[in-house]
Amino acid sequence: MSAPAYEKVILRNLQDPGYRGTLAEYRARGGYSGLPKALQLQPQEVIDLVKQSGLRGRGGAGFPTGLKWDFVPKDLALTKYVAINGDEGEPGTFKDRQLLEQEPHPIIEGTVITAYAIGAHVAYIYVRGEFVEGAKVFQRALEEAYAAGFLGKNILGSGFDLDFYMHRGAGAYICGEETGLLESLEGKRGQPRLKPPFPAVKGLFGKPTVVNNVETVSNLPPILVGGPEWYAGIGVPPKNTGTRIFSISGHVERPGNYELPLGLPLRELIFEHAGGIRGGRQLKAVIPGGASSPIFTPAHLDVKMDFDSVAAAGSMAGSGGVVVMDETTCLVRVARVIAHFFAHESCGQCTQCREGTAWLHKMLTRIDEGKGRPEDLEVILDVCDNMKGKTICVLSDAAAMPIESYIKHFRDDFEHHIRGGACPTGMA
Amino acid sequence: MGVAPAATPPLAGFRPETREFMAQIVSRYPTRRAGLLPLLSLAQEEHGYLTVEAMEQIAAFLGLSPTEVYETASFYTLLHFRPIGEHLVQVCTNLSCALLGARPVVEHLKQRLGVREGETTADGLFTLETVECIAACGGAPALQVNGRYYERMTPSAADALLDRLAGER
Amino acid sequence: MADTIGLTLNGRSQEVAPAATIWQAARAVGLEVPTLCYDSRVAPAGNCRVCMVEVAGERVLAPACARQVQPGMVIETQSPKAVAARRMVVELYLADHPLGTCGVGKGCELEALARRLGLRGSRFPARSSAPKPDLSSPVIAVDLSKCILCRRCISACSDLQVNNVIGLDARGFSTTISFDTNLAMGRSTCVSCGECVSACPTEALVERLHQDVAFRPDARKTRTVCPYCGVGCNVELHVVDNRVVRVTGTRESAVNLGKLCVKGRFGYDFIQHPDRLTRALIRRPGVPREAADQGDPRDCFREASWDEALDLVAARLGGLKARYGPDALGVVSSAKCPNEENYLIQKFARVVLGTNNVDHCIRLCHASSVAALIYALGSGAMTNSSFEVYSSDVIIVMGSNTTENHPIISSHMRQAAKRGATLIVIDPRRIELVNHAHIWLRQRPGTDVALLNGLMHVILKEGLHDEAFIRGRTEGFEQLGPVIEAYPPERVEAITGVPAADLVRVARLYGRAKAAAIYWGMGMSQHTTGTDNCLSLINLGLLCGHVGREGTGLNPLRGQNNVQGAGDMGAIPDNYPGYQPVEDPGTREKFERAWGVPLNPRRGLTITEMMEAMRQGGLRGMYIVGENPLVSEANIAHARAALFRLEWIVAQDIFLNETARYADVVLPAACFAEKGGTYTNTDRRVQLARQAVEPPGEARADWEIICDVAVRMGYPMPYEDLAEVFAEAAAVTPIYAGLSYARLQGEGLQWPCADATSVGAPFLHKERFTRGLGRFVPCHQRPPRELPDDDFPFVLNTGRVLEHWHTGSMTRRSHGLDALYPELLVSIHPLDADELRVRSGDRVQVVSRRGRITARAEVTEQTPKGSIFIPFHFAEAAANLLTIDALDPVAKIPEYKFCAVRVERAA
Repeated sequence: MSAPAYEKVILRNLQDPGYRGTLAEYRARGGYSGLPKALQLQPQEVIDLVKQSGLRGRGGAGFPTGLKWDFVPKDLALTKYVAINGDEGEPGTFKDRQLLEQEPHPIIEGTVITAYAIGAHVAYIYVRGEFVEGAKVFQRALEEAYAAGFLGKNILGSGFDLDFYMHRGAGAYICGEETGLLESLEGKRGQPRLKPPFPAVKGLFGKPTVVNNVETVSNLPPILVGGPEWYAGIGVPPKNTGTRIFSISGHVERPGNYELPLGLPLRELIFEHAGGIRGGRQLKAVIPGGASSPIFTPAHLDVKMDFDSVAAAGSMAGSGGVVVMDETTCLVRVARVIAHFFAHESCGQCTQCREGTAWLHKMLTRIDEGKGRPEDLEVILDVCDNMKGKTICVLSDAAAMPIESYIKHFRDDFEHHIRGGACPTGMA
Repeated sequence: MGVAPAATPPLAGFRPETREFMAQIVSRYPTRRAGLLPLLSLAQEEHGYLTVEAMEQIAAFLGLSPTEVYETASFYTLLHFRPIGEHLVQVCTNLSCALLGARPVVEHLKQRLGVREGETTADGLFTLETVECIAACGGAPALQVNGRYYERMTPSAADALLDRLAGER
Repeated sequence: MADTIGLTLNGRSQEVAPAATIWQAARAVGLEVPTLCYDSRVAPAGNCRVCMVEVAGERVLAPACARQVQPGMVIETQSPKAVAARRMVVELYLADHPLGTCGVGKGCELEALARRLGLRGSRFPARSSAPKPDLSSPVIAVDLSKCILCRRCISACSDLQVNNVIGLDARGFSTTISFDTNLAMGRSTCVSCGECVSACPTEALVERLHQDVAFRPDARKTRTVCPYCGVGCNVELHVVDNRVVRVTGTRESAVNLGKLCVKGRFGYDFIQHPDRLTRALIRRPGVPREAADQGDPRDCFREASWDEALDLVAARLGGLKARYGPDALGVVSSAKCPNEENYLIQKFARVVLGTNNVDHCIRLCHASSVAALIYALGSGAMTNSSFEVYSSDVIIVMGSNTTENHPIISSHMRQAAKRGATLIVIDPRRIELVNHAHIWLRQRPGTDVALLNGLMHVILKEGLHDEAFIRGRTEGFEQLGPVIEAYPPERVEAITGVPAADLVRVARLYGRAKAAAIYWGMGMSQHTTGTDNCLSLINLGLLCGHVGREGTGLNPLRGQNNVQGAGDMGAIPDNYPGYQPVEDPGTREKFERAWGVPLNPRRGLTITEMMEAMRQGGLRGMYIVGENPLVSEANIAHARAALFRLEWIVAQDIFLNETARYADVVLPAACFAEKGGTYTNTDRRVQLARQAVEPPGEARADWEIICDVAVRMGYPMPYEDLAEVFAEAAAVTPIYAGLSYARLQGEGLQWPCADATSVGAPFLHKERFTRGLGRFVPCHQRPPRELPDDDFPFVLNTGRVLEHWHTGSMTRRSHGLDALYPELLVSIHPLDADELRVRSGDRVQVVSRRGRITARAEVTEQTPKGSIFIPFHFAEAAANLLTIDALDPVAKIPEYKFCAVRVERAA
């Protein structure tokens, strides 16, 4: 059974088995032809063009990219920055790592386009500390791009200058939050900032800053080449255009990154592209957009995988990390693992996040180990309720929402643990 | 902030080429402080972990207080304040890996190495850590050794890997 | 912007300030939104999430402390969602901090809030292990098991004091407060200011001194003024059973915003120290002065009644005056005493004794600064307010170790630098402020005039001077050029050791600044070229027009809590109160009318000149109030020999100090906490002090003692209280004319305050200089008196350390301070130490042509190579045994900052 084929925008070149992502290879396949097009336009025209394409951020929140750029003050005299978010860490997501390791040049080309559009002359890419190979490859790509005149002074004779530096993280999921990322770039603890002000007005080093995800900017060169109408024709226009990379993992036959148009049914992703449930087992649950997203059940298989449809179904498309769980999975264990993650990654500023994530983990561990108490589920739900919409950033919400959804959809698993003291699935 | 001349030159505890690279990194940013995280990583590369002296020297070099350096450093899990083993084995125990058997791999490694999570073997060869998602869910269960990925781990695959690493010495 | 905006708060329409936060707006209309992390003195961190309120139309609750109001906002501070969130936060806290955790009595805002919310316990299990208490600091107890991670201590340490010692360790649930690189507090670089203690809402950080009684609910609080340096911080003395048991800062004070340093907060034990004098003492017959050197100096005396002692003082002073004439007597007044007492002491000298021989420690600290400022500008004081550092874009600090000598002004400077002002430090020592400075010029000791001339040379060359200002506001500019011409940067580099490029950078920064201010300390004034140094600073300020505007100015940081006031009150030999010259006949007539007696027309002797007069026999008797010259004078051995030639000495003090012990009569005085009065701080702010405790035994306030002696000598001083004295002083002191106790009740007022409608002057010389035109007085570089040579190869620099004060009589009797800094350390550069084979902690002997002392070495890069630094607080190894008594020719101030010594390893 072969899965339906769709036009690829970002991973196109990677279909060639021998492709290494060097500058020469990228250029041989038409790379760096979007940038000259952008440089021939006025910055505002680039912004408008990206708006027309309908591109939305691929990092998690799905905010319209052109609109984000448009918030940056147009004053030419102001110093502005571009920060590229390569701090992928959302459990279940592994697309940015692949881009950094295998296709770095579209990120660079997209960054130059972004910087040109908002009038920035310095850009930084924040690469997750764990991505040793990705950092090596990307650094080489930066050097190639400088040498070829795609970075540095007077890029392609346009008079536009851009310096682009790599900045490596050192182990903190919260630096994927855009203001946490900015703090970390400034040499501080990656603690998210109070908003307002937003980065577009007061960002890196106090200057207007656009923070874009690695995958997001990788879309820009093709958009410049193919035109916004072409891009907007992919997916579900007008608001869910283009493709995105779905990282599919868990109990599927063929885990991996799949670049697909927005709006395909979840069923197609799992059963056609990822080869279905391993060993022919039954599907139990799916996390549709990374660990922060509320869980789906088999009843959600027909939900279309675009930003708005997933949201309408009660979850979020998030980072595109799809984690598939079969019937052997215990949702108490899943909850414990997820709770541990958020407790480990809470920056510790806001009380209900710092304390709440830790207590959630403690209580879920207690339940998983058969020591739960009848009142625990209500206490957990109460904590979750008071962790949402009350903190500086959304990590607290992200910690609470999935747990709530697990209890909502799989309450039996929890109650069985509390009542019987043992796991019905016997998960290791 | 100012950098004061002193009897001992700045960053005296680092190799000259490291010092030079550190200065170059700092020049990439409009504030000296922004160079902190990359400098800490370099310091760790050179010494194996962050010594108090290294943190103090970096503080002086960047015009920061030791507190500002330490509180930043201690936020990040890849930075260590005690010596670690030659091979840092970091096993992902997050969701996709957990679903596909990370726990048995960890338990096996603990037994084989005779350490608990976060500890280093007596011979200084291995430090075992469990870590959160390392973006290798497609090859779960996965682990990293000194930043290098090893995927689709099983207890026996982990054994073979350790044997090989131990033999490299 | 509109004056107010309209919004809805808890269902009611309100008009609030447009720049307010929701928290401030709510408070303004009487609604208290609870918070645990908010400190109104710093930018909100917004992390405790207790003050969350509901704003209509927003999904996320807003932190009231951080969110600015907007027109039409509809805010509910008590909506079910907000209340539930608040309760959850407190309940989560209570898991690890159950009610009753804080039991010392300092109080716990968390527990109080929990009770207010009706929470008794927590549904969450407690943490399995709690951190152990850290008692490594002698003054602050740390118990992080009580910590709620509100981070107020961090903000207090980093944003308010800018010490940057407290930070965080780890993240998330594992986060804890930590010091430096995670050290115990007592081993960290903590300077024990205690700001964290005052900020902490729980008892995680708490004072250790007198913990048994310090927090008793019946403690009475009295607001007064700190007795140490010239900053004039406002303090609350907490009193239990007539003992001061705790000190906190007054948040309402414009001077310190509640901030204190280690001395202000922990240096109060001396008040109730057993060494306090409680009875008048009279030297036993036949006991020579030097007998006090052996055993307990008290044995040289017998106790006496006040009547006996006062009669004796009056008789002996009267006798000496009759025999040798009034100018055979001298009076040393005290900068530790309030204005009223200084007024009375100088009046006593002039009216009762009939001499102008009255002086105080101004002679030893800023006489040269005052002389230069009066000569060039007409007013001998800081031209600006210390909080104006926030209005300066360039701040130069020269010859002032501000962090140790004026800690709270230093914290203002550090905060200003943090907010973006350019801080330039010019000092041979690598003082703490260097850590916060953009540029540090390390000149060779004793080369200040050359350096300043070099700056002016560049400024003139590059046309950065303010021509309009020079033309309209100054005179003597034409004399400047020829002198300055001789100081090109290269030559200045050769003299000072400061790289020419750095000199040029600083000149440009200062010349191009919008508002630049200069602050200096005794590093400038205590030289034989002290007056030249200060005149050169003034030249620089005039050249660029950086004086007479907010944020500009020329500011000597005054040492003692009332050294400004003592000078203002005329406790100086050449001026009556208000700097009115004694040698001016018209002025003298005015005072003769006011005081009802003929006055001595000859200017009197300075302290340093009095020493010489004792030596030569011209001075026969001394009345010394609150001073300790045998530790504080330069070349003590010489001073002692001079003092011993006196026929008769009366000392009035709170302790039997190293000078009082040689007196013939000792009168027990009340200390600052035991009396009222007004003190004038370094930025001319006259502040009201208040009595907190009764004096010990028979000790009495200095003013009462002086009045009693005056009466016995035939001049009645029938004052009811200090307010009456102040009124009389104000009436004859034009710069104080508009001041009265009634007007000083709040934050005090800054002189000049000419009449009852004047609100005082934050800065001077706005339209014109006090003397009319500002005067350029160019100076050439001159060397210090005693240069190093082969026998004495090191330069000795002396000064203070943070933990101690003056001759140590108060601070070394304060338990906490003595524990923090128990013995003298001689600072020496590592390269010099290597050569001498000396390590930190080794004992060394320091020898000058005048004396020798033995002490431990501290090897530190703070001190420049070729120079050593010794604090002068330690009588047992008095730095002033070594110093030279060479004087500045104009101001008669000794050269404490430069003499030649050698250093030897001690056995």
